Amino acid sequence: MTVNQNELLSALVDGELQGKELDDVLQLLNTNEQARRQLQRYQRTSDVLHDHGVSHHHIDLSDRISATLDDEVEFTTSSKNTAQIIAFPRQFWKQAASLAVAASIGALAVIGVMTQPQNQLVQVPQVASVEIETTPMIVATTGKRWTVEEQEVEERLNSYLVDHNEYAGASGVFSYARVVSYDMGQ
Amino acid sequence: MDLELVQRVQAGDKKAFDVLILKYQQRIVHVITGFVHDPVEALDVAQEAFIKAYRAIPNFRGDSAFYTWLYRIAINTAKNHLTSRARRPPAVDVDAMDATNYYDAAELKEFETPESSLMTDELQKTIHQAIEGLPEDTATAIKLRELEGMSYEEIAQVMECPIGTVRSRIFRARDAIDKQIQEIMGEGE
Repeated sequence: MTVNQNELLSALVDGELQGKELDDVLQLLNTNEQARRQLQRYQRTSDVLHDHGVSHHHIDLSDRISATLDDEVEFTTSSKNTAQIIAFPRQFWKQAASLAVAASIGALAVIGVMTQPQNQLVQVPQVASVEIETTPMIVATTGKRWTVEEQEVEERLNSYLVDHNEYAGASGVFSYARVVSYDMGQ
Repeated sequence: MDLELVQRVQAGDKKAFDVLILKYQQRIVHVITGFVHDPVEALDVAQEAFIKAYRAIPNFRGDSAFYTWLYRIAINTAKNHLTSRARRPPAVDVDAMDATNYYDAAELKEFETPESSLMTDELQKTIHQAIEGLPEDTATAIKLRELEGMSYEEIAQVMECPIGTVRSRIFRARDAIDKQIQEIMGEGE
């Protein structure tokens, strides 16, 4: 170890090396065990003067750590973490938006159905256990019932109403129905 | 200059990280020993802390001093280590930042055995005696640097001499102190 080398190590402790001198001292420390020990001793003196606690045993973790880090990727300027924006095609966003709208409507429909008072899905087993009444279903004959002159049309509407009432109890569909108009041609 | 070393590491120079290890390993091991209370274990934890620091160094922006940043990693690694030991088997690695919540600040006190405390006192006494025995300009240079925290440039202005002279005087002071320390520590070459 030359005086100049030791002076470089002392300046390294003070953080006063730059450029080529720093390169030189890094090279020295990489190849010279005595230089490494000298640097640690200078550093310890500095630490004690600054009232920093130091270990009083000779320690050199650098070999162990270097061996572990040998397998690590060396950083490069381009390997610094930068945000990576993935550009999805326009079609993707259109499909995603459509899916989101459809999902929202579906969710609203489910919530709407679930909040209907007649939605007694949990009571289905009870319904199943009740004896089936044989009384024929009577379609309202008064009040707001439609009046059509043709028998065929009236029968068809009645059958629609009966079908509707059968489904309404089990599937949560609204139990009432209104026929606004009816055309034989439809 | 730590920042320059860090920038070199960030640019792919692993040797620069080696220097950071050499500079700070004694302080880091001392701090970690305050937590794990076992010198051998402390070395393992310190090694882990340095490895974590290396992996995280691309994110270091220099907002704080490098040692402050490293110290924080070391403390969290030590706490994490203690947490994992208390909860064996460590099926899940506790996040280092979460681990800080498990311990009181009182537990941050550093671990000093009577022997190590005596050694620290002896070192300080030896260093101050060595400084008092130095030529005046050399003693002034090392005091301005170590006790006042001045840069070489500032010392050169105060002492009205070139920066190279300041560097040389500080080195001579360190070398003289080091010779005294080697005597009491039995670290002769």
